Parts: sequence; C-alpha cells; structure tokens
Amino acid sequence: MTDHETGAGATTTGGAAPVLSMEGITKAFGDNVANDHIDLDLRRGEVHGLLGENGAGKSTLMKILYGLYRADSGRILLDGEPANIHNPNDAVSAGIGMVHQHFMLVPTLTVAENVVLGAEPSRGVLLDHDQAQRAVTELSDRYGLKVDPKARVGDLSVGLQQRVEVLKALYRDARILVLDEPTAVLTPQETEDLFEVLRGFVDQGLSIILITHKLGELLGVSDRITVIRDGKVVDTVQAADTDERQLATLMVGREVVLQVERSPAEPGDIRLDARGLEVLGVTGAPAVRGIDLQVRSGEILAVAGVDGNGQVELAEALAGIRPVAAGTVHVDGRDVTGLSAGARSDHGVAYIPEDRGGKGLVSEFTLAENFVLKRYDQAPYATRGWLRGSEISRYALERIKAFDVRPANEQATAASLSGGNQQKAIVARELDGDPAVLIANQPTRGVDVGAIEFIHRQLLAQRDRGAAILMISLELDEIHQLADRIVVMFGGRIMGEVAAEGATDEQLGLWMAGRDGENEQ
Amino acid sequence: MTAQLQAIGRALIFPAIAIILAFAVGAVVIVATGNNVIAAYGALLSGGFGSFQSLGRTIGNATPLIFTGLAVAVPFRAGLFNIGGEGQLFIGAIAGVAVGLLLPGPGPLVIIAAIVAAGLGGWLWGAIPGLLKVFGAHEVITTIMLNFVAINLAYWLARNPLAGEGLVPGTNFVPDPVRILRLSSGLGAAHYGFVLGIVAAIVAYLLIWRTTKGYEIRAVGLAPGAARYAGMSVAANGFLAIALGGMFAGFGGGLEALGTFGKVSVPFVSNLGFNGIGVALLGRNHPAGVVVGALFFGGLAAGAQQMQFATGVPLDLSDVLLAIVLLFVTATKLVELLIGRRARSLEAGTKLEGGLAG
Repeated sequence: MTDHETGAGATTTGGAAPVLSMEGITKAFGDNVANDHIDLDLRRGEVHGLLGENGAGKSTLMKILYGLYRADSGRILLDGEPANIHNPNDAVSAGIGMVHQHFMLVPTLTVAENVVLGAEPSRGVLLDHDQAQRAVTELSDRYGLKVDPKARVGDLSVGLQQRVEVLKALYRDARILVLDEPTAVLTPQETEDLFEVLRGFVDQGLSIILITHKLGELLGVSDRITVIRDGKVVDTVQAADTDERQLATLMVGREVVLQVERSPAEPGDIRLDARGLEVLGVTGAPAVRGIDLQVRSGEILAVAGVDGNGQVELAEALAGIRPVAAGTVHVDGRDVTGLSAGARSDHGVAYIPEDRGGKGLVSEFTLAENFVLKRYDQAPYATRGWLRGSEISRYALERIKAFDVRPANEQATAASLSGGNQQKAIVARELDGDPAVLIANQPTRGVDVGAIEFIHRQLLAQRDRGAAILMISLELDEIHQLADRIVVMFGGRIMGEVAAEGATDEQLGLWMAGRDGENEQ
Repeated sequence: MTAQLQAIGRALIFPAIAIILAFAVGAVVIVATGNNVIAAYGALLSGGFGSFQSLGRTIGNATPLIFTGLAVAVPFRAGLFNIGGEGQLFIGAIAGVAVGLLLPGPGPLVIIAAIVAAGLGGWLWGAIPGLLKVFGAHEVITTIMLNFVAINLAYWLARNPLAGEGLVPGTNFVPDPVRILRLSSGLGAAHYGFVLGIVAAIVAYLLIWRTTKGYEIRAVGLAPGAARYAGMSVAANGFLAIALGGMFAGFGGGLEALGTFGKVSVPFVSNLGFNGIGVALLGRNHPAGVVVGALFFGGLAAGAQQMQFATGVPLDLSDVLLAIVLLFVTATKLVELLIGRRARSLEAGTKLEGGLAG
C-alpha cells in the first residue's frame, strides 16, 4: 500500500532514516478500532499531510504520538531508534511539538510569558522576563513568525495566537511539528501566510505533519499525503502526482460528487426579514452590532466569516434562543421578535445549531427521544402528560428511514452515532413539516463527505421547495457550492454582500479580515 | 426493552464492582486489626439479612434512606445537586409530627394529613433553593445553608411550641392511631413507610421516564443548551426537580418520625439526609438503584452491630466500608484502571473523553 514511497520527494532527503516512523499502530476503544495497524513515516524536511474524514482515526494517531493515548500495539521510532512516549512530557523531550485545534493559551499573559510557560527561564525564583523576550524574539525572527513578544495574547488575532502556539513548540526545541486542522480558524489569506511560514520551517530542517480534511489546501503545501479511512492507511501519495478528485475518492472509498448539481435560484417573497439587529454575546458584550438582512423564498443566503464574529449570536437571535437587544425579526411578514424559540418553531422557523452535542441533540437520549425534542408534548407523542413510547419510536423510525440515519435503531443513544449521522438526524428533525425559514449554522461541520453531500442536497431541495435559507458557514468551499448570495460578517457587522457568481476568495477574505476592499486602511 | 435491560446492567456494574472492592479492602483492615475475615463478614451478613429481626432492622434503616436518596436522585436528573436532604427531612418530620399531634380526627385521616404535611414541608424547603437558583444562587451553597436553618427550626419547634412533657427533650409521642403501622411483629421496628418508599421510587421512575415533565427534566439536566433550544425552561424544570427532591426528603422525615420514633426528639436523627447522597451515588441516581443502595446502607448498619457483638470488629468498620464503596463508586476512573478495558467500553460514549475529532 505504500508503493508510492520509494521515490523520495523533491524536498526530502532520501536514504537516511525517517525522522519519525510509526509502525503498526493499533488502538481500539471497546469494539471500535480507531487505528488499525497504521504505518506512517515522516522524512526530515517534509510537510506530510494526514488526510481523513472525521472519525477516520487521524486525531487518535496523533494523540498516541503525543503520549495522550497508549497504543495497544505497534511502535514509534525517532531517527530509527525506538522511542517510549508515555505522556506529553516525553513527546516534548523527544522534540515533538503539537499545535492543537483549540489553543491552550493564557489570554491575560504576554506572548513571551505564554511561550515560556512551564519552561520559564528564571532569575532566582523570579521569571526572567528579559531572557524570555530575547528567546522569543530570536525564535520569531529566525522563523519569520512576526509576533510581538510583549503583546498580550488576548489582544491578538486568532491567526497570531496560532503562531504563539507554534512558538511554544519551537521554544521547546521541536523538530517535528504536528498541526491539527490549523486552517479551520483562518481566513484564506491567513492560511496562505501560515503555509508560507511552514515552508520556511521545512527549509530549516523541521518536519511537519499537517492534519486536515480539506483537500485543496493540502495539495498546495504538502510533499506527501497519507490518507486514512476507517482507522487504516489507504495510501500514501506524492502531492505532485495527485488531485482533489483522487484524494476525495481515497478518503471516502468511493467516487464523490464534490459539487452537488443545482438549478438557478428563483427567489420569491421575503420570508425572513431582520432589521437593525443587535445581540449581546455570553459575556454581555455586543456580538451583533446592527445587522439588516432579508432572505427570500427559494434562495440560500450564506453568511461567511471567521469563527467568533457574531455568527452564533445572529443565528440564535433569529431562532429565538437569544434575546435581541435591538431590532426586529419578521417571518412571512409577521413580527416574531418577542416570540420564544418554541413559538417561532410553530411559525415555521427551523434551526440547525452549530453544536450538535450541546444544542442540537441530547447526546444521552435515544434517537427516538431526540426526534421529538420539539414536539414531545404534542399529540400523538404524548397524551395528558404521559409520553407514548410506541408513537415516538414509530415516528423516529420513519424519519430515520427517510434520511438514511445509521444505525437504523431508534433506541440507540445519539452519542453512539457518528457525527455525520447525528447531523442527518438533526436535519431530518428540523426539515419535517417543511419550514418557512431554515437557519443552518455550519450544517456540515465535522461530518464526513457522504453526509455533506446528503445534507447539501436536502438544503437545495428545501430551497427549491420555497424555503428561505440562511446558512452560516466557515468553509468557503461550502459557501461557493450552495449560496445564491453571500454576506461576510466581521466583528458583529456585515462587511459586504456579493452575488454568489461574482464572489472571489480574495474579496471574501478581505471582508473576513475586517477590511473593506475599496478603502484600504 | 432490551435497551432498558442493558441500561440497568450498565447502571449496576460499577456499584457492584465498588462494593466488591470495598469488601476486599475491608478484609485487609479486619486482618490488620487481628480479626478473622470470614467470621466478621459472616456476622455482618447475618446481622443484615440473616434473620427476620435483622432483616427488619435493615428495612427500618433503609426506609428513610430511600426517600433521601430520591431527594438527591431526582434533582440530579435536572443537573442539580441537592445537598439539602438533611434539612428537608427535618422539616418533613416536624411538620408531620405537628399535624399528628394537633389535628383531631380519625387516625387514618390524620396519618394521611400528617404525611401530606411532611411532603409539603419538604417541598417548600426544596422550593427555596429552587427559587434562589433562578436568581443565580448556586443550589449546593443554598441547600447546605438551609440545612442548618431547618435543623434548628425543627428543634426549636420541638422544644417550644410543640414541647412535650417527657424527660427527653422534644415533642410528645403522636397518638397510637397516628403511628405508622409496623410491617409485622417479626420484622421489629420496620414499618409501612418502607412500602411507601418503594411506591415513591416507582412514582419517581414513572415521573422521570414516562411523562413529558420528566422528559423535560432529563433534557434540561443532560443538555441545557438543547433543552433551551427546544423551547423548554431550564429554570422552571430545575425548580420543579429540586422541590420534588425536597418533597421526597420531607416524606422520609415524616415517616421516620411517625413510624420509627413516634415523635421528634432533640436530638433527632443524624446524617440520614447526607447518607442519601451516598445512596443516590451508589444507585447511580436511578430510583431502582436508590432502593438497592438504601438496602445496602441499611443492611451494613444493621450487620455492623452484629459483627461488633460477635467478633469484636468495631462498628466503625461499616463506616469505613461505606466510605470505600463511595470512593470507588465516584472514582470511576480508578475502577476502570483496576478492572481494565471492559468497564471503559461499557462507559464509552458517556464518559470517554470526546474531542478526538479524527
């Protein structure tokens, strides 16, 4: 299966032992084999892409490398020598650095303080600030990271915070850098900058493992790509010899439709109308600062933007879960501003939240219980306050069949399903009754390609039926595939609007970074 | 149905393992104190379950614990920790005895009124932290604090307006027709409160798993975000659950006063409310588990007396055993480590760290 590996890539040094080899790594959780005899080798000075769907076993493999899990069998070699990595400290001493998807930074401390945290240079019992800053400045200069060591981490953009995470690894003399979905939080421009930095790293002899499920960007930056499916290595390919279609097929195990076919939109009357909307976030600070938007029957309005720019608050305010501080929301001409989530649902507002486990589903409930989450107290699912289990099961099975949710067992707990099937269950529940307005916040976040395809088809079918769909997404690919119109949110405001046909990533990226393309600051 | 059986199996495995491990550790303690393990545990078992008298003691001990266990288990389903079972039990006891002493009328009606008063008192005492929670006060703090208020209030009532003539401080005995009947003369002090405890557990089960209210309570407890999103009120359901918990503890206190003692003496009982927390933990906050846990606690207390009498192993060993059991029940990670991956796979999906996106 690794027959592509015989020829060394252009930027790799053939001959010498790989800087890292993972051999026959196997790890099971109960009956679920997350890693099944995985072989992976990383050459000095290469960017090695690790590609797989959610749940394929990428993160498990990396957690084993970083000492967070113990493999059931298999071994790890560093420079050809067997390594014993029992905990993250062992991994760090062995020169392995990891940049997690969720940053582990102290926002109130400076960049330098964060970087040295846990390995502080000291003068007596005191932290040697000068020494720390010198070290960080030197690292930052050497690798072209351009981070001010004196800046407070909380004041930095997400992209810069990510660099602080990278600096933390470099400060601990990492030779091998693992980045877990690093581009999930970045604008297209920031992604390019990051990749440039990574190319600089490999030129200086570092080796990088890049985990992602985005096909396109891997091709641009990787030397080789290992594809994992269902816990097994499917293939390791030279990035130069492959393309998106081949990678997608390897990743999913069948031919994939990357673009769902769609007919032109036929927008009708305005069904969702929000004016002057202001919403407070969890901290009480304004998260949505005056937004006007209208969605017509038969169109999909996509809201693009980097995570954390008020999208969640906007969606929740429209769905009635979060109160609005100012402004109005109308559905089909009726003022629903003061109505609760339940009442809005009765007026035809459906909502797919961004957080499956926390908001969309009760993970410990069975599928049957989850399917009646919004109608558990309505006939025929309840009479006089008593639940009717058989009716609930019957309804759940019907929806499960219609949306091909697997396993087709309504008594399985939601938590036991894969992310894709959980999401299909939510979509199945929300689309029942043909809603007037659908608010979908990251409807395909963290689900497999098959489920993405299915959910996209469902959204388009709802659009063609005449629903008004507001889709929030962090993935520009998804936005290009589904949107009829695109608005970009930054800092709680809409930075710009563009018809889907004319939208370029450059324009969207500038808006996503909070810059107005015409009046550059 | 099979899913439910599996759920029961899952619910029982940890407590069972915890108990076995606790007895293993207890054996070490017994040997270390120079006693014979088999003789000691034999005496413990026969003292708890070996005869009608010992069974009666076990049932008698278990009766209030079923109620205080439910007082923890029901609010827990809504995601709330009711540490106020002790106080709610005292309020129930004094309310029940007050009605039993003061209300004229035929015995059976007075008994019913007294039990209702006990439940109502407990309900109110649980409603206070429930209400405070709506305004942001954490229920753990408020229920703990209200324990002191409740206990002292009950003692004050028992010594002043309701003070009796006896030498022991406290109320008078309620009239005989108002006493809860004993189950049978062979079973000693065990009274019909035990039957009511079983009924209460069944009611709690039906409420939580078979009604729309229970559905809301569980949804609120498991995923407040999803519950809010579905249009349920997290605050109202939390209030209801903790008030219901208080009601159960109140029933327990009333039945203990009207059944076992016939009065509220000063001092009255101690730690029945707090042991309810242990019972609920052992029973994994399931009504059936609570009944089993209460019987275990009750049996251990009854058996320990016999064990001390027969072998000289101090009574305190039962406390040590209970402590170790609770330690193991709560330290699921430790048990996993001791029994290996089997438990982990059983727990998978609920306890296993999420976060492994790939």
